[in-house]
Amino acid sequence: MWTYVARRALLVVPVVMGVVTITFVLFTALPIPYQLLSHYGAPTPKQHCGYSKQCTCATLDPTSVHDGQCTCISPPTVTTPTGICQNPVYHEYVDALGLEKPIPEQWLAYIYRTFTFQWGNVSNYSTVAHYYPKLAGEPVATAIAWELPYTLELASLSLVIILVLAIPLGNASAVYRNRPIDQASRILSFSGYALPAFLLGSLVVAGVILAFLPHTGFDVKSPWCPAGEPIDQEFTYSLPISSACYPGLAVGASYPGWISNGIHSTPTGFLTIDALIHGDPWLSLDSIIRIILPALVIAYGTVATLLRFVRNSMLEVMNLDFVRTARAGGVPESTVVGRHAGRNSLNVTITVLGLTFAAFLGGFPIIEDVFKLNGVGELLAIAADPNPAVDFGVIFGSTILFTFIIVAANLIVDVLYAYLDPRVRLG
Amino acid sequence: MASAPWSGPRPMRRPHPKVDQLQRTWYFFRRNTLGLVGLGIVLTIVGIAAYAAALPIPWTSVPIWCATDYGPADAPLTGYPGNYTQVCPTTGPIVCTYEVTPPPNAADFCGGLWYKDIVRSGISFPSIIAPTLSFSPPVAGPMPLGGLSTSSGSRTLYNLAGMLARGSDWTLFYSLSIVGLGALIGLLVGATAGFYGGRTEEAIMRVVDIFLSIPTILFVIVVVAVLSAALPASAGGNLFVKTLALVGGFVVVWWPFYARLVRSQVLTVREQKYVEAARASGAREGRILFRHIIPNSVYPVFIQFSLDVGTIPLLIGALAFLDFGPLLFVSTPWPEWGYISATSVSDLQGDFLNSCYTAATGCVIPWWQFLFPGLALFFFAISVNLISDALRDALDPRMRR
Repeated sequence: MWTYVARRALLVVPVVMGVVTITFVLFTALPIPYQLLSHYGAPTPKQHCGYSKQCTCATLDPTSVHDGQCTCISPPTVTTPTGICQNPVYHEYVDALGLEKPIPEQWLAYIYRTFTFQWGNVSNYSTVAHYYPKLAGEPVATAIAWELPYTLELASLSLVIILVLAIPLGNASAVYRNRPIDQASRILSFSGYALPAFLLGSLVVAGVILAFLPHTGFDVKSPWCPAGEPIDQEFTYSLPISSACYPGLAVGASYPGWISNGIHSTPTGFLTIDALIHGDPWLSLDSIIRIILPALVIAYGTVATLLRFVRNSMLEVMNLDFVRTARAGGVPESTVVGRHAGRNSLNVTITVLGLTFAAFLGGFPIIEDVFKLNGVGELLAIAADPNPAVDFGVIFGSTILFTFIIVAANLIVDVLYAYLDPRVRLG
Repeated sequence: MASAPWSGPRPMRRPHPKVDQLQRTWYFFRRNTLGLVGLGIVLTIVGIAAYAAALPIPWTSVPIWCATDYGPADAPLTGYPGNYTQVCPTTGPIVCTYEVTPPPNAADFCGGLWYKDIVRSGISFPSIIAPTLSFSPPVAGPMPLGGLSTSSGSRTLYNLAGMLARGSDWTLFYSLSIVGLGALIGLLVGATAGFYGGRTEEAIMRVVDIFLSIPTILFVIVVVAVLSAALPASAGGNLFVKTLALVGGFVVVWWPFYARLVRSQVLTVREQKYVEAARASGAREGRILFRHIIPNSVYPVFIQFSLDVGTIPLLIGALAFLDFGPLLFVSTPWPEWGYISATSVSDLQGDFLNSCYTAATGCVIPWWQFLFPGLALFFFAISVNLISDALRDALDPRMRR
């Protein structure tokens, strides 16, 4: 088994290198000002228009230096070819990042930067800085590290829901084929496939808000925040909005000190755990309640695909000889289904879960955006928002992170499969 | 074959084998009622698309309602964000003008207020002139449902029914072209990998693995964002370039699924006796690949194709939900179902629900705005899913139990 695991782990290397190469190709396809922006986090300085010896322009327009190229005011006929009449700071930046070196060298430098977590800085003028001012200018890796625990909490809760729903329901719909439970699970999987997460999630949020609207008479407040927070906000956002939810805090302070910036918490970064450490059990419960609805919406979409595979693999296993033999030998039906067939179809379930993991994580930007949660997905969703400006550093960084998680998950799934399958484990 | 001793008085004419196979597939497909329902829905959508393409149905920049009494001209309305001037005449019924391009601010329309502003400012609109082809939900009903026949997606008024009808052809075009091109490339690449084997296969499949480990939607986001930054600004208004960028960005992401699917199928097909026979009779490799292997390993592609066609509008909708609309389309609002439903639900979240908190008297939830585009999306996706299921039953002999 260990040779298998080692061989499988070795296969990760080309995939990881390939993913980084793909992002490198996309990064290089960007115009140079965008590359600089994503690395240095601020626009290249505008006020430096260089009068070098080769520049025949008499007056340069100082405001036109958006991409390092100066516009000539007088005489207007002088065009400014690349490399001449450029702003010197811009050139320094380009040199420092090695953007004019041969592509293979740039590739090596990019790979080095990627694996040393030099993913650039959050642009000061991007949408991310607009929504999270505290993240402006921070390294992308730091910003992602602050947001990652929220995503991991959401992912683990939804994985639990997925496994708890998909395996028993899939098995049941195979055992009771074409009976009501099979039809119900068929409807569940069809509709989960056809209802996009953004639509379902938005409707859930709207439904919660409408249900607890002041006009409807159900004007309920969160139990632990009676003064401030309407209960519908309890099901969106990662943190309570109102400072009134923190009894014992100084007036004006919006969060306890261990949730710095309203973004990340200390010491572990996981709000659920940190709240317990700091003796705030209700905040821990609160942070779990806040991710229940998004986790259910994510699970709905993933269960839809998983359910069919579990059912089909279970159906195939149930027709095999050893199940018939077990039945003929008088083994109770529950044991046949649970131990003989169920154990064997579990392998397929795990494999399929590994295959759908990419789609599962891909849903996070949407879901976290819909429910206004903190998280890497929300960071990516905001960074991709072109109004006012896309932040390419964050986009590339979070895509690479998601991909690494998926590669690691696939590795774990394969190892788990090897462990569960005695032919691999013992052979 | 043809010399079989038929017992009847006349020799029976067997149809061409291809026709025979098609008839058999159709026979098994026909027995699946749900598949027929799905096919019916898709054909209806195609019909609507053809109808909408043939008739010039107005869909954008059409003032859905116009008012005769909206206060003095050039007077800014209270509670309205930003600067704008009212350019409508002061007296008499307003002639609804059909703008070609949407103005930067929806308020430039005659009486073109956002609905929330009507709620907030408390202006009453005595007469509402609805042009043809607009939905008329209950007018000015009590909260939380009801309201005017407006549709505001992305803050520009448009005719919802016309938009959906016009949207059907673009929706079909995007879905079919993206999945079609992706399937074609994947088919060729996967068949090559499976057929030649060895180093070629190893190299191709590693590349496929790399592509498959990036989540589809993130990959599309990155590709589209990079394309929109890398393309020159002059290309931004070009319909052809924009469409090419959208379709191309998706195809880059889409082909690896098909490559893996086809390759695994080719691995079994290439060991079949008829391939061996073709090889023994001296057929060239290209002929074996294109005449024997690809036609026999293509059926899972059809199944997956019909399944994937339904996901494209959902993905485009997800991108539009993240405010990617202006990057994806040459102008917004754009008649694409995913886009329409995404902008309506984000409007619902952003504007209307907030107005429910602030309005003292009540608020209006424009349920028709997300219900009808959402239903269109839902039925499209579910019908192609049903077709895919029926195709699987019809094409895969093992599934016919």
